[in-house]
Amino acid sequence: MDVDFSPIIENWRFFAGGLGITVLLSVISAATSILAGLVIALLRLYGPRWLSVALVFYVDTMRAIPILVVLVWIYFAFPLLAGVTFPPFWAALVGLTLHIAAYASEIIRAGIESIRPGQTRAGLALGMSRAQILRKIILPQATIRMLPAFGSVLTMAIKDTAIATVIAVPELMHRAETVAGQSYRPVEVFTTVMVLYFLVLFPVTRVVDRMYQKLAHLGRS
Amino acid sequence: MNFDWNVIWTHRGALWDGALMTVGLTVLTMLLAVPGGIFLALMRLSSNKLLSSASLAFVEFFRNLPLILVIYWAFYVMPIAFDVQFSALTTALVALVLNVSAYNAETFRAGINSIRKGQMEAALAMGMSRRQAMFKVVIPQAARRILPVLASTWISLFKDTSLVSVIAVSELAYTSMQIRAQTFRVLEMLTAMAAIYWLMGYPQAKLVDWIHKKYGVKE
Repeated sequence: MDVDFSPIIENWRFFAGGLGITVLLSVISAATSILAGLVIALLRLYGPRWLSVALVFYVDTMRAIPILVVLVWIYFAFPLLAGVTFPPFWAALVGLTLHIAAYASEIIRAGIESIRPGQTRAGLALGMSRAQILRKIILPQATIRMLPAFGSVLTMAIKDTAIATVIAVPELMHRAETVAGQSYRPVEVFTTVMVLYFLVLFPVTRVVDRMYQKLAHLGRS
Repeated sequence: MNFDWNVIWTHRGALWDGALMTVGLTVLTMLLAVPGGIFLALMRLSSNKLLSSASLAFVEFFRNLPLILVIYWAFYVMPIAFDVQFSALTTALVALVLNVSAYNAETFRAGINSIRKGQMEAALAMGMSRRQAMFKVVIPQAARRILPVLASTWISLFKDTSLVSVIAVSELAYTSMQIRAQTFRVLEMLTAMAAIYWLMGYPQAKLVDWIHKKYGVKE
């Protein structure tokens, strides 16, 4: 077989732009997911009972439905119901956040619950308010324990943004499809993009693994 | 705006077949990826440097790629590499098995490594053979730790089968989106698709929680 990488070299700016959108979308959606996850976790732990039941239902629903289905529904079906349309990037951001926040909330809940209740009681005995205890005792310790897991959220976000190609977000995966279709060189294009994704993801997972090893003992109480 | 929900009932046959295909793909992939994972884990734990680095490279490669890309790649590269035209279903199966085997390999390796060395040594000291020690002492305990993780992988896999719709395997997502394109009943079909996934996935998620509670390791 003949190999021809010229379509990739000619379109390198197009690919670089796609990579930029992939990185931007995954970093923003990881950040919004962690923020939303924190709110969900706190409401589940300290909020009223009915709200926590509703949030458990939401989290389990997101664990049951594929991200592809969430993205497609938000982009194609939701506008028919609500009468507003989102551009693909924003639909993807909303869909990814809805999906990943459910996982992030579980990580944060487990992190908060891992701080022994004796510490809360000690704080109360010292006359601290519940909010003070959360801010000064629980969250600082829990955050260190959760840091590596937040890294996992980022890798999850990077991989999931590739699925946003189905709603035509012009990220790396979608641009690969475009160039592969125009140049009839799918093997070269997809192989190159595979290397690109690997080069982005591998350092992130390496850092996450290092963090698991380095930080594991710090959070111990 | 008027909606016509009858479209779901009229296409119930196709949706049922799609759902069956989704379940079938999940089961078949797991059946192949469990032996695949065990094989890779044993390679990784072997004392042969070449085998263990090959396994490490395989696992790291597939864990660090979006599955949707692996599916596209298999779709375009496999026919050229092997000079045979594969069906979309075979291609999908190959991509899913490659991905899940890599995750399973890590699960098995971590499970076996989590059993302290002292136990193996104690078993050897009691006169068991290495094989006996492995099968009677290490593996039964490791299995309890591996099972909950495998259950989590199972549910991820169940959801990930939806991605093979991009190469036209007629599972639930593809079938629903085809009916949507034919009938222009976008909201109805996409909602039905989400609802069917929910009906199938929700009990599985609950079952996974139960398995975690029953077998999960408490530290």
